[in-house]
Amino acid sequence: MKKKLPLLLLFIAVILFFSACIKDTDFNQTDDIEVTPILELDFLFSNISSQTFTDIGVNNLVLSDTTDFSFLNDDFTVDNLERAEFYFKNTNSMPVNFEMKFQFLDENNEEHYLITIPITSGELNNPVVSEYIENIETDGIVSLTMADKVVLSVEASSIVDNIEGTLKLQSKATYYLKIIQ
Amino acid sequence: MKYLLICFGMFWGFSMISQNKEVLYGLEEVPQSMLLNPGSRISYKKHFGIPFFSQIHVNGGSSGVSAYDIFKDSGGDINDRIQNKIAELKNTDFFTATQQLDILSFGWKNKKEYYFSGGVYQEFDFIFYFPKDIALLAWEGNANYIGKEFDLGELSTQGDLLMVYHLGVNKKLTNKLTLGFRAKIYSSLFSFRSISNKGTFVTRLSETDNNTYEHIINNADLTVNTSGIASLSDMGNSSQVVQKVLGRAFFGGNVGLGADIGATYEINEKWLASASVLDVGAIFHKKDIESYKISGDYTLDGIELLFPPLGNGDSTPPYYDDLIDDIEEAFPVDTIYNSYTQMRPLKLYASIKYNFGKAIGGSGTCNCLKMGENQEFNQSVGFQYYSMFRPKGPQMAATLFYYRRFSDYISVKATYTADSYSFTNIGLGFVANLGKVNFYLTADNLLWYQNIAKAKSVSLQLGFNIIFNEE
Repeated sequence: MKKKLPLLLLFIAVILFFSACIKDTDFNQTDDIEVTPILELDFLFSNISSQTFTDIGVNNLVLSDTTDFSFLNDDFTVDNLERAEFYFKNTNSMPVNFEMKFQFLDENNEEHYLITIPITSGELNNPVVSEYIENIETDGIVSLTMADKVVLSVEASSIVDNIEGTLKLQSKATYYLKIIQ
Repeated sequence: MKYLLICFGMFWGFSMISQNKEVLYGLEEVPQSMLLNPGSRISYKKHFGIPFFSQIHVNGGSSGVSAYDIFKDSGGDINDRIQNKIAELKNTDFFTATQQLDILSFGWKNKKEYYFSGGVYQEFDFIFYFPKDIALLAWEGNANYIGKEFDLGELSTQGDLLMVYHLGVNKKLTNKLTLGFRAKIYSSLFSFRSISNKGTFVTRLSETDNNTYEHIINNADLTVNTSGIASLSDMGNSSQVVQKVLGRAFFGGNVGLGADIGATYEINEKWLASASVLDVGAIFHKKDIESYKISGDYTLDGIELLFPPLGNGDSTPPYYDDLIDDIEEAFPVDTIYNSYTQMRPLKLYASIKYNFGKAIGGSGTCNCLKMGENQEFNQSVGFQYYSMFRPKGPQMAATLFYYRRFSDYISVKATYTADSYSFTNIGLGFVANLGKVNFYLTADNLLWYQNIAKAKSVSLQLGFNIIFNEE
């Protein structure tokens, strides 16, 4: 019996170690993991004066510029962007109303999303701030993420030649991501 | 069967973590305890380990989170649990994995009573500190943290796969003092580290008023050192990689030198103290080195449109491409081929124990089998201290233990350890000497073996030796 004791103890020890187990856990929950970061990123900015219009031509009423923004139709964005909220702040010290358009185009210049913002006239010593929020979800996100460039157009309601003051655009975007397996 | 496989897999999976072998330390019946204290007392004449089976050690853990904390099948949504853990964990919390496999182990006592021991073992050691700020940024984004500086320097990780060739000598200098020394040659199979990083990322309200925010990466300086990895990327398949890595085992890669020193002091027949310092050394990485360094500063405030007058056929300025180019220029990736020296993670053990119980080897106050030496007893209690130096400071552990020798062939040691992982770590070691066969099995965190998912660390050693006792 005495010689069997170590074998018995060894047996018990081995059983103890190898009966170790995982309980009360569900590793299939990895399927439920959703990473939902919210990113705040600057978007476009500009500072327009009457000179910017007249550089194009006398009595010119329309400005337009284009930038690639391929972040939007990147595979990661297409797969994971749930919602986007654009915030625009225009500070106008020119006594002219403007209409600002953001066209989101694809590589073939086909428009997939359009944001139009009215901008109220201001005064040199009393600039007027116009704020605008565009919330984009569901089908809008599908359209937005088909674009890879943005065209910004600014149309003055009247001639701006030799007018003092500026139209200052500041903007940001809040991207709501949902990353799942 | 599937459940069994999952359990077995998880058992080993979770067994991949820290280097404290609190149960094995001081278990003088086991030759591998000499690897923890080369100055431990040796009562046998020679030993050799069963190749590949004389020590199998796996240890794994995280200091702040268990699998159960995240994957428990009750208690709400897993995403809430992850978010709460990210908030709870600190940047000094870590995930570690350590594994050792004794390939060859032998020892003998010469006529002058020096005990020489040597061998070869393979070791894998990995640590990854929890980069709290980066995790927070990835999980939640920056929207709710405008003005917060995210610390990019929290990124800290290190990993090594190496072979260790060692030869030690142990001598009982006096009736009280035993000293030991072990020289080591490290043969690195591969190594990586990224431990001295710095830099911050912040999104703040614009101070220039150009746009709404400024996204600033400030003073970024991130480095990854690799050795023995760059050449593997040219390998066609995994078997070639394995072949290449194993080819370095016999000094084919980068080598280093190190030493272990240890001592045991018998204060009297009741009290015994011991201490050791392990892996005092470094690996000198000179071959197959590639280090990557990214440094720079950048402030992003969006894309400014300038509305330039364009003629027919003119295209608009490449704002977006220029922005990407600017960022890439601000953070060039330098590939560096300079050699570097990597200190081995130093380990310290210290112990004091009190012997009591039944006298072994005789009765009364003398050890009648070893005349002139202190009486030995079949039981002892004691305290052990362990410390391992890691990139962000030492990992420490304090252990209380009870040892009992049931007979000439059975010994058991039980431990209670408080460490970085938990304050509820109970360990148990079992040594059996069946004839010349010496078998040992030690493990810790036994309280959690009913559900390893709840354990923050698990350590296990087992092995077989052949021991020839003194005649």
